[in-house]
Amino acid sequence: MKVTIASPREEKRREKGKEAANNLLEQWKSKAREGEKKKKLIWLELTGCAGNIISLLNGIDPGLEELLQKQIDLCYNNSLMTAEGDQAMKQLFTTADDEFILAVEGAVTTKDEQYNSIGRYQGRLISAMEAIQYLGQRAKSVIAVGTCATYGGISAAHPNPSGSISVIKALQNIRSDVISLPGCPSHPDWFLGTLAYLILYGTSPTLDSENRPILFYGLTIHDNCTRRSFFEKRIFARQLGEQTCMIALGCRGPITRTDCPTREWNSYLNWPIGANTPCIGCAHRTFPDGTSPFVQYERSATSTEASKENNKRRK
Amino acid sequence: MALRKIINPVTRLSGFLEIEVYIEGHTIVEAKSSSLLFRGFEIMLQGRNPLDAIYFTQRICGICSTAHSVASSLALEEALKVTITEQGRALRDLVHGCEFLQNHLRHLYLYTMPDFIKLPEAQCLFQKGEQNHQDLRLPKKENDLLVDHYLESFSISRKAHEMLAIFGGKAPHDHGIFVGGLTVHPTIDKVIKFRSLLDQIKRFTIEKMIPDVYTLARYYDDYFHIGRGYGNLLSFGLFERSSKEIEARRKEEIQKSYRYVEAAFLPYKGKEKRINKNKITESLRYGWYQDGKPERPIEGTTIPDTEKEKAYSWSKAPRYEGYPCEVGPLARLIISGHYPYQISMMDRTIARALEVLQVIMVMEQLLEEIALQEAPQDIYTIPEKTKGIGLTDTTRGALGHWLIIDNQKLFHYQVITPSAWNLSPRDEKGQRGPLEEALVGTKIEKIDQPVEIGRIVRSFDPCISCATHVHTIKGIQKITILD
Repeated sequence: MKVTIASPREEKRREKGKEAANNLLEQWKSKAREGEKKKKLIWLELTGCAGNIISLLNGIDPGLEELLQKQIDLCYNNSLMTAEGDQAMKQLFTTADDEFILAVEGAVTTKDEQYNSIGRYQGRLISAMEAIQYLGQRAKSVIAVGTCATYGGISAAHPNPSGSISVIKALQNIRSDVISLPGCPSHPDWFLGTLAYLILYGTSPTLDSENRPILFYGLTIHDNCTRRSFFEKRIFARQLGEQTCMIALGCRGPITRTDCPTREWNSYLNWPIGANTPCIGCAHRTFPDGTSPFVQYERSATSTEASKENNKRRK
Repeated sequence: MALRKIINPVTRLSGFLEIEVYIEGHTIVEAKSSSLLFRGFEIMLQGRNPLDAIYFTQRICGICSTAHSVASSLALEEALKVTITEQGRALRDLVHGCEFLQNHLRHLYLYTMPDFIKLPEAQCLFQKGEQNHQDLRLPKKENDLLVDHYLESFSISRKAHEMLAIFGGKAPHDHGIFVGGLTVHPTIDKVIKFRSLLDQIKRFTIEKMIPDVYTLARYYDDYFHIGRGYGNLLSFGLFERSSKEIEARRKEEIQKSYRYVEAAFLPYKGKEKRINKNKITESLRYGWYQDGKPERPIEGTTIPDTEKEKAYSWSKAPRYEGYPCEVGPLARLIISGHYPYQISMMDRTIARALEVLQVIMVMEQLLEEIALQEAPQDIYTIPEKTKGIGLTDTTRGALGHWLIIDNQKLFHYQVITPSAWNLSPRDEKGQRGPLEEALVGTKIEKIDQPVEIGRIVRSFDPCISCATHVHTIKGIQKITILD
C-alpha cells in the first residue's frame, strides 16, 4: 500500500487554500446577512373561511416555511402563531408599532361592530373594524387577499345577513392604495409574487383600475382558455365531465380576470376547467350573486354577462 | 370565589373561539365555549339554485371545504333521486380521503405541536410571549427532531392538497366533487401521480408522524388522564362498501355497510345503536337564536337574536337522543373497534395520527377498484318540490346537510358541523357541550399559565371558520353561567 505524506511545503499551501476559502465564505455570509433584515408581516383573518392562509400554505418554491426562515417575520396569524389569548394580541399591537406589511383575508362586518371580534386585549374585545382601521392606518402596504377582502365575496352574499363589506371599503377614508388579490381562494403565487415585489422594490407592482396586479389579472380566463378552440368551433359541453367548452353550462371565464388557465393550481397541476367544470367567477367583483347559478344545463352559449363583456372589449 | 379566565383568541384553529373558565383552587369548575359559527349561510342559501349548494357551502370553511361538497352532494342525490354508481362513489371517496390527510397532518403539526415543542423563537411566529408556558418537556434531541418534522410537514401536507387537485381541480374549494360523484376522469397519468403522492404521505406517516405522537405521549403521559368529557360517541359512517363486498358480507349487514366505520351512536358504557336521522335535534336555548323547542334540522330555524339572555354562542346545541356527543377520529376508531374505549386529550391526538394510516389503507383499496377513464356524469333535473339529507363523517366528525327544494329553488338549508357537536353550548336540560364537559374538573398546574386549556381545546380540532362573533357589551354583562 502506498502512503503519501504531504511535504511541509505542500501542507502550508493547503492551509493557505483553506484559509482563502474560509475568508471567501465569511465574506459571502456577511453579504448575505446584509440583505437578511426580514420584513414584518401581519396576516389578519376576518369574516371568511380562512381559506386564503390554507391556500398560501400550498405555495411552492418558495414555500411558506422557506419564507419564514429567510425573508419574512410573520408576527401575527391566528391560524399558525404559537402565542394565544392576550399574548397573541400583545404581539399584534407591538408589531404594529414598527414597520410592517398587512395582509388581510375575509370581509368586515358592519351590521353590528361586535359581529366579528378578532380577540380580547387587556380585557376588551377588539372588533374587526377597529383592528382593520388601526392596522390599515399604520401599515406600510396593505394587501387584500381573496374575494371577501377585495369585494365582500361570499361573506356579503345576498341578503348579506352580517352586513359584510370589503377591506377596501372599510379603509376607503384612510387609504386608496390597498392591493387587491381576489380569488376564492387567492392563488399562493399571486400573493407571493406581490409580496416579493413589495420587498424588493418597496412599491406595489403595476395595478389595474380595480387595484389588481396586471401581471396576474391582466387577461380573462376566456382569453387564454385551453379550451378556446372548442368555443371557436362552437363545440359546447352539455354536462359536467365533458372535455369541451364549458360556456353553455354557465362558465364565467369570459368575465373573470385571472391567469388560472396558464398558471393552474396546487403546484401547477390542475384548475376548475381542467376538472371539466365551468369557471364560477370566484375572482369576479360580483361573486357569488352575479356569477350564479354556477351550473346551468341547456344554457344558450351567449350568456348576458359574457356577451356584455365581449361587446365592451370589442369597443 | 371562583377565578375567571378568558382565552381569546384561541389561536391555531380555523376561525375564532373564546374559551371562558372558572377556576376554584386549581380546578376548573365551569367552562363555556363561545363558538363563533354564524355567517348566515343558511339564510344566504334560500332561493338559490339547488346545485349551487355544492360550491357555495364549501366556502363555509377553508380547511375542510371538501367535506361540505360531499355532504351537499349526498343531500342533493337524495333530493334529486340520483343513484350514484359505485365508480362515482369510489372516486368521490378518494378525493374526500385526501382532505383527511391534509387536515390531520396540518392539525397535528401546525396546530397541536407548538403546544408541546419549542420552535425556534427567532421567528416571530413562534414566540410565546413572557407569560406563556414553559411546560415543554422534550429533551433537546427529541425536540430538534420534532422541529424538523414540523417544517417537513409543510411540504407533506401540501402533497395531500395536490392529490385533491388532481381529481378536484383545485384546493381549497374543489370543483370535481358533484352530484353523481366526480367530474374528472381517472386516466393512468393521473392515477400514478396520485398513487405516488399517496405513497410519500404514507411513508411520512409511518416513519415520522405516528412515532412523533408517541414521543409526545411518553413525555406528557399525564394527558391520558385529562380532558375526557362525557364519553358518548357518534359517527355517521365513513367510506361505504361496494355492493360486491356487501354481497360477500351479507350475513353481517343488510343495508349500508362501511369500509372503515359504521354509522353508530355509542352512549357511554351503553350499547351501540344504529343511527336514526329523526333522533338528531338541535337546542337553541343558549345560542343567539330565537328560542323554541329543540328542533329537527329539516325544520330548524336560523333567526338571530343577539339580545337573548344567557345566550353565549353562535353554535346551536346538537344532540342525539338528547345526548351531547363527541365526534371525530377517536370516536371513529373506538366505534370501529380499532382503539380501546379510552378517552382523553392524548388519546384524541394519537387517534388523529393513527387514522391517517387507516384512511390511506382505504384509499389504496379504492385505487385498486376504480375503472380507468370513467367518471359518470349526467344532466340532473330539479324537481318542483323535494327534500334531501346528506349525512357523512368527515375529518372532524359527523357532518349533516339538510335541504328542502320548493319551486326548483332552495327553500330551506341547515348544516350541522362536527365542531357544532364538539363545541356546542349547553342545552335546555343544562347539559354542557362535550368540550365544556372535558374542561370541567381539569387541574390547572399554574394558574397564570393555564396551558392545559389550549391543549384540551385543540385535541378536539375545532373548526369555527364561518365566524361572525356576536358579543354585545350588554350580552357580556348578562352572562351568568354560575347560576
